[in-house]
Amino acid sequence: MIFAGLPLAQLIAIFGAVGFGVLVLYVLKLRRRVVAVPFSPLWERILRDKEATSLFSRLKRLLSLLLQLALLALLVVALGDPRAAESLIKGRTVVVLLDASASMQATDVAPSRVAVAKDEVKKIVRGLGGADRMLVAQMDAMVTPLGPLSGDASALERELDSVRATDARADFPRALRFATDVLRGVDQGEIIVVSDGALGPASDASGPVHLGSARLTYVRVGKEAHNAGITQFSVRRYPLDKSRYEVMLEVSNTGPDVEDVELQLLGDGALVDLTKLRLQPGERLPRFYPQLSGASRTLEAKISRVDGTRDELPADDRAYALLPARRRAKVLVVTEGDTYLEAALLLDEYLDVTDVAPKAYPQAIAKGDWDAVIFDRVTPAELPKAHALYLDPRGPGAPVKVEGELKNPGFDKVDRKHPTVRFLGLDAVNIAAGHKLVPESGDKVVGASDGGASPILVAGVRSGYKFVALGFDVTASDLPLRVAWPLFVLDCINWFTDEDAEYLSSFRTGDVWRIPVGSAVAQATMKRPDGSTVSVPVHEGRAVLLGVDAGFYELTAGQETTSFAANLLDASESAISPQEHLAVDGREAGALAGFHLGVRREIWIYLLLAAALLTAIEWATYHRRLTV
Amino acid sequence: MGLLDVLPWRRERKVVSAAKDELFDDEFQRKLEYLSLVSRRVFAGRLRAERRTKKSGSGVEFADHRAYQPGDDFRYLDWNVYQRFERLLVRLYEEEEDLAIYLVLDTSASMGFGGGRKLRYGKKVAAALAYVGLANLDRVSVVTTSDRVMDRMPETRGKARIFKVFRFLREAEAEGTTDLGDALKTFVAQAQKKGRGLVVLVSDLYDPRGFEKGINVLRYNKFDPFVVHVVDPGDARPKVHGDVLVYDCETGDEREVTVTAKVLDRFADAYSHYLADVERFCATHQVPYVPASIEVPFDDLILRVFRRGGFLR
Repeated sequence: MIFAGLPLAQLIAIFGAVGFGVLVLYVLKLRRRVVAVPFSPLWERILRDKEATSLFSRLKRLLSLLLQLALLALLVVALGDPRAAESLIKGRTVVVLLDASASMQATDVAPSRVAVAKDEVKKIVRGLGGADRMLVAQMDAMVTPLGPLSGDASALERELDSVRATDARADFPRALRFATDVLRGVDQGEIIVVSDGALGPASDASGPVHLGSARLTYVRVGKEAHNAGITQFSVRRYPLDKSRYEVMLEVSNTGPDVEDVELQLLGDGALVDLTKLRLQPGERLPRFYPQLSGASRTLEAKISRVDGTRDELPADDRAYALLPARRRAKVLVVTEGDTYLEAALLLDEYLDVTDVAPKAYPQAIAKGDWDAVIFDRVTPAELPKAHALYLDPRGPGAPVKVEGELKNPGFDKVDRKHPTVRFLGLDAVNIAAGHKLVPESGDKVVGASDGGASPILVAGVRSGYKFVALGFDVTASDLPLRVAWPLFVLDCINWFTDEDAEYLSSFRTGDVWRIPVGSAVAQATMKRPDGSTVSVPVHEGRAVLLGVDAGFYELTAGQETTSFAANLLDASESAISPQEHLAVDGREAGALAGFHLGVRREIWIYLLLAAALLTAIEWATYHRRLTV
Repeated sequence: MGLLDVLPWRRERKVVSAAKDELFDDEFQRKLEYLSLVSRRVFAGRLRAERRTKKSGSGVEFADHRAYQPGDDFRYLDWNVYQRFERLLVRLYEEEEDLAIYLVLDTSASMGFGGGRKLRYGKKVAAALAYVGLANLDRVSVVTTSDRVMDRMPETRGKARIFKVFRFLREAEAEGTTDLGDALKTFVAQAQKKGRGLVVLVSDLYDPRGFEKGINVLRYNKFDPFVVHVVDPGDARPKVHGDVLVYDCETGDEREVTVTAKVLDRFADAYSHYLADVERFCATHQVPYVPASIEVPFDDLILRVFRRGGFLR
């Protein structure tokens, strides 16, 4: 026992001084009021009984004195703020990782797993020792400490009020690394994971997490649960018929029983398709919906049980997607006349194509707001203020430097991930002659001849406008005769207008989202599914944020507003059955120990309560004449 | 007693003001006359100086038996009755005499307690009885006592002497301790006709040595004691509370007491027991006894005395 308040010597001095005062008051009897009576023998008669108990009376006076001294001792010791010595010396540092991932929204324990988890943490907080310090961190796609390391139980409990489960998966390795960083150099470190255990392996790109000397404790939340959810959902328009689209989704049953579910597909809020499915335990059922039409913008899939009941995790019963925006692209073609090119452009009905002769180019480019300009064997004097496709560029106005002539070049090397050539077969294209293109820094060599030494297809950005330069005359090759030709032209236009086939129909929660914005702004405003807005930084033309909520979003950057969707789509989060054990770094997590609930650490509070009780006893006994 | 009453000049002032009160005013005297008439009506036909006293004396007319008490003359035992019933009875004979009435007024400090109400009441009772006696041509003497005989008014006769009685009583003040035994022994020794007469003892009977001693002195000396017990109901429920030091106003004995409601209840019980003891003693020894509460008007009390018998025969 040590004293955190006044030192022991001072306490003894106070007790001695005040105790002496109490003793003096007891030794010196108070002068009684004098009252005359006509016949004292009558008083003698009733006092005779009292005299028989005079020894008891003295004892009662002694008891009263002892009561006063005990009262004084309690108050003096309370002034010293006594603490258990071991609790001060062996203080623990505890990091609580509170799982707030999507699976914690499950309602198998009332009212929800995350609420139960918060209650568990509160119990732990109330069981903290006198010198223990604790930090509580919310663990979802990121790790968010709710406050600093603190021993203040009420502050720690208040911090928990802000915790809610997100629609994202838990980044367990990151959370563990955060906890081990906090506990680095601490002797009595302990990590308490309060979770349902659906956390995945404790390793990431940097390798497995090492806990060091920290003790790992696992507090399990939840019980066996039934759940069916949408674990994959994707939609895209057909490149050549943008009025139609196809949907691929996957429905999983992670529960132990057969689930009969109804799968609805809604386009712009109207029912597009309805299917009843029977899912076996653990089954993952992919579904493909080709050639769909009717929706122009939003697409939503949702499942529900046939019997009308809800499963334990509603968060994965819905998935959202936005179809790529359909708008007409204005294309300026500068050519002396090219049938192949015209034929290729005719394939897309959403293109407004304007053909001009090279001489009319300056007026045409100055007049309109073009989405793309195609220079067919023509090179302007200066770069246009529009995205541009250069077919066999020459001269100083070319976006890249054109060097020596190549004979019979070919696409020896093709960057098949580039959106302009994805899925195209260019390997067998025969070319009579071409020119070597010299890319600038930041440009992308999409196709090259001579084993990659001579670039003949280069893409890049000049003054904020994209360009694609093809280093040969297509009429001097058999490319126009191939299927790849119109696809190449349309892919280039789609790339210019951000309508490429790789358009993401939705983002996954828990990932860092990089959403392209057209305007050159530093901040964008995002409206979240719940209607709230938040400011998002824009970096290199993209708004960057870590998304944790599923639903439809609107991003406003300058005057431009774009929409996108976000989904959970995580089979590991849909598998909500709690894990019995948790193992990290080859160590099994232990059970919670050393947190004694309901015990206040400040002993002085109990001392004051005891003093109040003694005062009440003294008051009662005095007024009942027991101690006088 | 108020807090300021401990101051000497206040105490003195109170005594003076009490002395100035008119005890025996015209109203009082009218009541005396009325009481005298009542006494005459009750005993109409009796001649003056024809009172008969039941004494086991030397008369010739048998009157009654009574139980033998220690001290009675063996010669008057009725042996015939003893033979038949094995009970000791004393024969009583009626004897004519002119009765001497001795009014013994206790003027100890306890009678002056509580503003002297008991003493004033006692004086009124004594004066009334004296008047009735004087009116009946009895010889009346008034004596004030505490632990001794304080003062004495010689025997007198005739209604006109009542003012002498008033004067005598008016001058009596409450002081001294109570010792009825000693005081009445002195009284008996000084009595002109020993063993004769009615002695009316007007007292609160607060005698630390026992009230019985005084009464027994009278009995043993063949007086007819008559006890008028002056009682102040306020004495049964003193207005004190808390930690106090009680002291006896006569003896000065001190005692520390913590007075609670429970203690007061016990005191009230003790007080009523004390009254019951007195009454029991008098009943046992055939001593006429009248409790005289000072809250009862004195003339009512006198009528009660008449009804009780023993004073007027």
